[in-house]
Amino acid sequence: MTEPERHGTQIHVGDGAAIPHRGDRGLVSAWWIAFIGALTLLVLLPLYKPDPYLAIIRFIPDGILITFQVTISSIVLAIAIGLLTGLGRISRNRCINLIASLYVEVVRGIPLLVQLFYIYFALGRIVRVPDIVAAIIAMAFCYGAYMGEVFRAGINSIDRGQAEASHSLGFNHSQTMRYIILPQAWRTILPPVGNEFIALLKDTSLVSILAVSDILRRGREYASESFNYFETYTIIALVYLLITLILSKGISIMEHRLGHYERR
Amino acid sequence: MYTRWNTLVLCLFISLFMVCQPAAANERTIVFASDATWPPMEFVDDQKNLVGYAIDMVRAIAKEGGFKVEIKNTAWDGIFAGLAAGKYDAIASSVSITETRKKSMDFSEPYYTVRQALIVRKDSSITNLADLKGQKVGGQIGTTGYFTIKAAKDLEAKSYDEIGLAMEDLNVGRLAAVICDDPVAADYALKRYRDTLKIVQIIEGDTAEQYGFAVNKGNDEVLALINQGLAAVKAKGIDKELQQKWIGQ
Repeated sequence: MTEPERHGTQIHVGDGAAIPHRGDRGLVSAWWIAFIGALTLLVLLPLYKPDPYLAIIRFIPDGILITFQVTISSIVLAIAIGLLTGLGRISRNRCINLIASLYVEVVRGIPLLVQLFYIYFALGRIVRVPDIVAAIIAMAFCYGAYMGEVFRAGINSIDRGQAEASHSLGFNHSQTMRYIILPQAWRTILPPVGNEFIALLKDTSLVSILAVSDILRRGREYASESFNYFETYTIIALVYLLITLILSKGISIMEHRLGHYERR
Repeated sequence: MYTRWNTLVLCLFISLFMVCQPAAANERTIVFASDATWPPMEFVDDQKNLVGYAIDMVRAIAKEGGFKVEIKNTAWDGIFAGLAAGKYDAIASSVSITETRKKSMDFSEPYYTVRQALIVRKDSSITNLADLKGQKVGGQIGTTGYFTIKAAKDLEAKSYDEIGLAMEDLNVGRLAAVICDDPVAADYALKRYRDTLKIVQIIEGDTAEQYGFAVNKGNDEVLALINQGLAAVKAKGIDKELQQKWIGQ
């Protein structure tokens, strides 16, 4: 008896091993390539061609400072607004719920650029705020709505049984939220908050239209005077890339640490 | 099936040719870029038309020089990069002829002379540049007005994408002063913001500042056409008429 001949397509049933998992040592880390590449270029370009690269790098440091200032102030404000909004969105109080939901719906439906113009120029006629404050308020106002959704999802992810158990132990609603739900929800919330942080940092480049002297504005000022568009925007892109790469690494380390406690 | 594909490809090619066909082959078209946020030199009126001194000037030059003209409204920041990239043949956007700019582009004969004007709020006690120590002064990015601010000592220079945004910030009090070309300053201080803003100083430079049309380095063909038309416009006194129409005095 001979074995039947095999023809046509064969389907191999695997165990999914063909898909590499994160942290596989066989994988080349895209992060390291991008990081070392960006760093090397930022160091080598000024050495290789001081004019104009060194001049550009000398021109933008105060812009980097402003970008960080706007990013950090806005993220702190946005997290506070987000927490309130997230709690408001799950509130049984109809009025609070409506206000929070309305805020999220309205803000998510308006482009950030339009919001920036609105807060800066339209409201500028009514309340006078310094440019950088207007930028921070606008960024926080917009990202507060995104954060609100992140918080709501995080709180909703905690099993209902937790709240029920807490109530049966005699905790009231706010105690339950504070001691039982939020500490657990925080683990789910932190990684997306980290991503929003990076997104916010990149979006701060929009505030350059408000004459806020961030990295991009400084770069544009340099380019408009020297006409070195290629060189200037290369450096600007590399600086942004380097900052976001460092931040994303920090966030993935943080995620890893949080995951440590979470293995279920 | 095969023939149907052929027909489709044929149709595509035909439509491609129709799109690419030049409008009129007999007359040369010169494409100008203009940042229409600079009244009264070039701006957009309430009918969304490009109007202004420079726009009329370009049309008159085209008529005298015997070429067709197309004007593209282009944002100021990047207008020179667009020229270098060949997106248009020339810039008619109140470009002052400076030594730095001459290194990367060629200029036509000058068509207008300007000076830098200092604008403040009506209630301000500032009368000249020296009074502004340590205060925020705004100008449009990459303009000679902004370079004047940068060159002055002890000022906090703020650059804006459009001069109108700087004027608004001055109007609401985020800036102590704005510096820009005098016809534009006059338009804002005497028309748009006549209740809140005033011109307090005309800053005299070392050399006269003049507007020219910019073309790419070595684009002598276009430059010659523009210069030829400009000479005819000046000879006929059309520039004086336009001055009367748009600027007055």
